[in-house]
Amino acid sequence: MDALRAIFPHDDFALLLVIILVPLLGAFVNGVFGKRLGKEAVALMALSAIGVSFIASAAAFLLLKDAERTQEAARLIWRGWDWVTISGRQDLSQVPIQIAFSIDALSGAMALIVTGVGFLIHLYSVKYMEKDPGFHRFFSYLNLFIFSMLVLILGDSLPVLFVGWEGVGLCSYLLIGFWYDNDYNAFAGKKAFVANRIGDFGLLVAMALLVYYCGALDWTGIDAQSRSLLQAKQVWPIGNDVPWVTWLGQHYSSLSGVAEWVNRPRYASAATLVGLALFLGCAGKSAQIPLYVWLPDAMAGPTPVSALIHAATMVTAGVYLVCRMSGVFVLSPAAMFTVATIGGLTAVLAATIALVQNDIKRVLAYSTVSQLGYMFIGVGVGAFAAGFFHVMTHAFFKACLFLGSGSVIHAMHARIHDTDASQDMRNMGGLKRFMPVTFWTFVAAWAAIVAVPFTSGFFSKDEILFQSFTSFVKAPVEGGKLGEGANAIQLFQWPEWGGKFLYTLGVLAAVMTAFYMTRLVIGIFFGEFKGWTIVKRWKAPKHHHGHAHDEHEHGAPLEGPTPHESPWQMTVPLVVLGALSVVGGFLNPHALSMFGVHTHPLDNWLAPVFTEAKKFVEHVPEFEHLVVPLMLPGIGALVVGGGFAYWMYLMQSGEPAKKLAEQMPRLHALVYDKWRIDELYDETILGAVDSLAEGFAWADRWLVDGLLARFTSFVVAAVGTGLRYVQTGRVQAYAAMMIVGVGGMGWFLIAPHAHAQVMTDHASGSYSVTASPGLGYRYRWDADGDGTWDTESFSDKTNVELKLEPDKSQTVRLQVVNAFGRTAEKAFAFSRPKPDRSRGPATTMNVEQGADGQLRAMPQRPRPAASGTFQLPPGGNMDPEATRRLFQRLQQQRGQAPGQPGQPAPPGGGQPAPAPAPQPAPGGQAP
Amino acid sequence: MNLLGEVIEHYVILASVIFTLGAIGFLVRRNVLIQLMSIELMLNAVNLLLVAYNRVHGADMNGQMFAFFIIAVAAAEAAVGLAIVLAFYRLRQTVLSDEADSLKH
Repeated sequence: MDALRAIFPHDDFALLLVIILVPLLGAFVNGVFGKRLGKEAVALMALSAIGVSFIASAAAFLLLKDAERTQEAARLIWRGWDWVTISGRQDLSQVPIQIAFSIDALSGAMALIVTGVGFLIHLYSVKYMEKDPGFHRFFSYLNLFIFSMLVLILGDSLPVLFVGWEGVGLCSYLLIGFWYDNDYNAFAGKKAFVANRIGDFGLLVAMALLVYYCGALDWTGIDAQSRSLLQAKQVWPIGNDVPWVTWLGQHYSSLSGVAEWVNRPRYASAATLVGLALFLGCAGKSAQIPLYVWLPDAMAGPTPVSALIHAATMVTAGVYLVCRMSGVFVLSPAAMFTVATIGGLTAVLAATIALVQNDIKRVLAYSTVSQLGYMFIGVGVGAFAAGFFHVMTHAFFKACLFLGSGSVIHAMHARIHDTDASQDMRNMGGLKRFMPVTFWTFVAAWAAIVAVPFTSGFFSKDEILFQSFTSFVKAPVEGGKLGEGANAIQLFQWPEWGGKFLYTLGVLAAVMTAFYMTRLVIGIFFGEFKGWTIVKRWKAPKHHHGHAHDEHEHGAPLEGPTPHESPWQMTVPLVVLGALSVVGGFLNPHALSMFGVHTHPLDNWLAPVFTEAKKFVEHVPEFEHLVVPLMLPGIGALVVGGGFAYWMYLMQSGEPAKKLAEQMPRLHALVYDKWRIDELYDETILGAVDSLAEGFAWADRWLVDGLLARFTSFVVAAVGTGLRYVQTGRVQAYAAMMIVGVGGMGWFLIAPHAHAQVMTDHASGSYSVTASPGLGYRYRWDADGDGTWDTESFSDKTNVELKLEPDKSQTVRLQVVNAFGRTAEKAFAFSRPKPDRSRGPATTMNVEQGADGQLRAMPQRPRPAASGTFQLPPGGNMDPEATRRLFQRLQQQRGQAPGQPGQPAPPGGGQPAPAPAPQPAPGGQAP
Repeated sequence: MNLLGEVIEHYVILASVIFTLGAIGFLVRRNVLIQLMSIELMLNAVNLLLVAYNRVHGADMNGQMFAFFIIAVAAAEAAVGLAIVLAFYRLRQTVLSDEADSLKH
């Protein structure tokens, strides 16, 4: 341990590079050389890569524990190099974005989960994907995914996290569409990527806001400056008003009230904006409303992919992000409540859909969405450790469930090579006999997910339910107001009914979870095996007795193998994960507090990460002792849901379900079709995008191709066709045209032209007219504007000067006669405008002599009027050094000596609405 | 010394009329030989004008000298023109300029 500590010091923790880069190496080797290496070598490479990563994660974890125990460091960092430097707010700061990785309590635990569960799934895939021709490609992608996930977890700043974020999105796309020959798989991959991308937009907006307000993007920087987010920002209207609404309000008096209401400025605190934007990213990645639609389709990928990515790791990246940015989230009770509410609603919605699905992977997919909703309830109310604990237990039991279902599908697939049929619950049943290990591990995971007491799922779910009822986020500012005076905005207050509402959602989802999971277990493992008939060319034996044919009665030959247990590479991970599902809960057994046992190692471990956040999370004191009463509905949910499913499916063989479906066929169809949300999106959003594309396609066809290309060429061709008739080929016609031309020229030369050059100078009022010369021209003027010619005869005088007073005008006329005696005349009108007094006085310049004797003129800048904007107390949130530098620069710009009195500021109160958007000014600029 | 005096206009009018006749003849007549004759008419009208102005304004003989040039050029041009007419006749067996429309669109 000491040797390790010597090699990897706390601020140059290169062990992180081992953790991250070895899977990348594995991905590269498998991807490039995999085909040549052969299946065993590829498997060995992949497994060893992730094995090394796991061991390194464990070592890092121990080193971190050591460092925390000796109080040396809470975070072990490795800094690489500067990736890019962006300018922060108003050129005051440069924000460097560094390639750096760090590990602290949260990311250490997460890295262990990712690499540990990842290793087990890699082992499982060795056998599951054995017969697949893309074996090496699969392991390359899996290792690449682990690499991206580790970059995400271990990144020290949001941009590095974003690299990992996009990387896991990419790997998800690659792995969902792994069997890309099938169009549906490719479509599912694309859907996942696009839905993720919409979330990524939210994350990018959040990053931009953080750069603007906090001036930092790494964890330490954000935590240090997070108070800067407590500013109000006008979010509506953008600018001063909505122009057409104002116009409507002015012209139609009945609408003026509405127009006022629309144009009233509305504010949100910057923390809320950042929180909501981050949550959009989480909704995309962790499949919450409205972006959960990609997860069920993602089941098109191989089952180990579903287990790893869509159960244990990638989808929990959203929860990880919320935990990581907990210091920012708690500054906004509105955002936290939104997170919790959407989590709750998602949990319930997904559970309803899972109730009627027949594809076992679909059931588990919707179960994942529902459990993710639970995690967001947990982190939404401020119980970050509880939410993260559920991430951990969910990784165990959901991976176990998915791998178990993969084992089942593997056995079914041997019977029939149709993907849909081999996953359909209606073709299964009674597999308990054939696959005992799978069965028992599946039951262990089932026990965890329905929260049978003292399993891991019980402890984590119970904790979340308890916290949802008792915990809430209080306003981060005293008195709940942001800003001062008349323009202060009221921050969101956690509603009284909030806890009860979230708790009810949680219990509702728990009932449904118990129901459909029990239904799933019964459907797969109990009853009779219905899969005999799905094999082609199956013939019923001659003596058909109507009871179970799972013994080879009468020697009837069966096409296709009997479902068999999976090899050890598949069952060992199942056993390990099943065991963890059962005992893993004792890492944080809050529920045991009713027995007086108060150990919670995970909470203690994660405490340093959430100390800042915890300052704003409060518990309703009256409910603190309600641990046991709040646990009972959870257990009740298990009993009610599980018992109901047991009765319906095992005792009544599913008859009541079928009758219900027959009685309410449309409701059943609606729920089976996942509430037709996908179709809704197709019609509305995708339809809108399609219409926009159609519009542009029309413009391209008709405007660009038609008008600009074909029409212009048509015009040119038509003019050419018209002009062609000039070419008669007869010389006489050409000669005639020549004569016409000569005639025209002659006429032009013979006629006189009265042109003159005019010089105007409005400033001094002098104008002059100079006549142009010509052949035999003589001139006659009317310079005084009286309408008569000045002289009777024509002369050679070519120039006339004129002087005018301001705001006076005069007309000068010129008559020209040429050698043929023909005359022409022209009039020139002049007027001198009034002097322009529209602008203010000229800028005052302060002229000073510098040290080198040079004179310098600096404009004296007018001071901006104070307008009751929201301002921080001077020098409030920036570090003193930056404030001092800012102050000096502003002084220089003003060209003043310090201490000169400025203009008095108008009173800040009584501001008429709508106020212009307040500039988030740094502290030193206020007069 | 201006012997023509105020009657220079008569010569100008005469020359203009002859020129116009030549121009119209060129434009209107179809026979190429007649067109050539019309061109000669135009040239000779210009000659007349030149000589008349020389009589009125010229102390030197510039006008008459230029008239000589024009006569020489006209002769050469007539020779070439007739050669072209001959070639055209051999080609098309006609002397009507309407038939020379190969360059028609």
